[in-house]
Amino acid sequence: MFFGLFRRKKKKEGSRKDAKDRLQAIVSGRRHSVPVREVISQEVVGTPDKDMLGQIKRYVAQRFKVEEENVRVQLEEHNGYVVIITNVVFH
Amino acid sequence: MAKIYVVTSGKGGVGKTTITANIGCALASFGEKVCLIDADVGLKNLDIAMGLENRVVHTILDVVNGKVSPKEALVRHKQFKELHLLAASQIATKEMLSPEDMKRITSELYNDFDFIIVDSPAGIERGFRNAIAPAERALVITTPELPAITDADRVIGLLDNAGIREENVRLIINRFKARMVKRGDMLTTDDIKENLAVDLMGIIPDSEDIIVSSNRGIPVILNGNKGRNSVGRVFENIASRLRGEMLSIDKDLETTPNKGFLELIKRIFGRN
Repeated sequence: MFFGLFRRKKKKEGSRKDAKDRLQAIVSGRRHSVPVREVISQEVVGTPDKDMLGQIKRYVAQRFKVEEENVRVQLEEHNGYVVIITNVVFH
Repeated sequence: MAKIYVVTSGKGGVGKTTITANIGCALASFGEKVCLIDADVGLKNLDIAMGLENRVVHTILDVVNGKVSPKEALVRHKQFKELHLLAASQIATKEMLSPEDMKRITSELYNDFDFIIVDSPAGIERGFRNAIAPAERALVITTPELPAITDADRVIGLLDNAGIREENVRLIINRFKARMVKRGDMLTTDDIKENLAVDLMGIIPDSEDIIVSSNRGIPVILNGNKGRNSVGRVFENIASRLRGEMLSIDKDLETTPNKGFLELIKRIFGRN
């Protein structure tokens, strides 16, 4: 035990690597700019209603081969545009 | 004609207001005409950071309500005659101000200043949208910790959506601890830059001098921190870069306080 005091401590690996890996994982899938090439006017789309959200849900579920309850559709207004945000849970 | 910047971060408590105040002072010390706008309506702090809290007569809300013009609402700094503040109101909410109001206010000040810097509130809601509305360029503040960096990433995306392109966005890393980086316990500036894909405007070391100057209501460059190794030098470096000077980012790291043997001895004998 006495000699243990003089034993060189094993150098612990710093936490930078963990932080870097986690940051990469978080950031990689997050920020991506989606260029708006086509804007459909409100007259064509009409007022977003439950039926429209249901249609989007069905399409996304089919497209990604998941159950409909694993798809969440949200509408947000950004700078005068309505942006459709869909979250798909694969597992 | 002014260059209009917004200072933003997403996450709160990373130092936006302190940085805004100090960059404003540093720019004014170079003779630039500077107007700082506190867009943090409801929580106003910029007047306190600048030691001007007792001088505020009119606020941004008085301007919005048409009581006074933007120029009439400005408070001039005690030492720097070219530095002005448009203070926020504490008895108001962010909803009482609109992005259009901010655009109108800055357009009325546009020809009288070289720099207009808008201090954004934390978050990405109405206050943030108000603050970014008139800006052409942005300074995104982060600390070297994951929550702050990921929020900064989100904000950069939102700035892009709002029309402030990545080439007009610059990153400032605050509370950088060189010793932790050396030890392998903190992300390096390159790690952060690489992940956010935005160029750096400055690296501010973690410094007690900033807290001391904030306690006194004196911006750090005016609080005896103008030496070669002082943190005040970093704000001067940032101001130089904002003025278009090509100054290496490594210059900021040269100011990291030296904690060598002499400092240790001074601390032991209570001289520091």
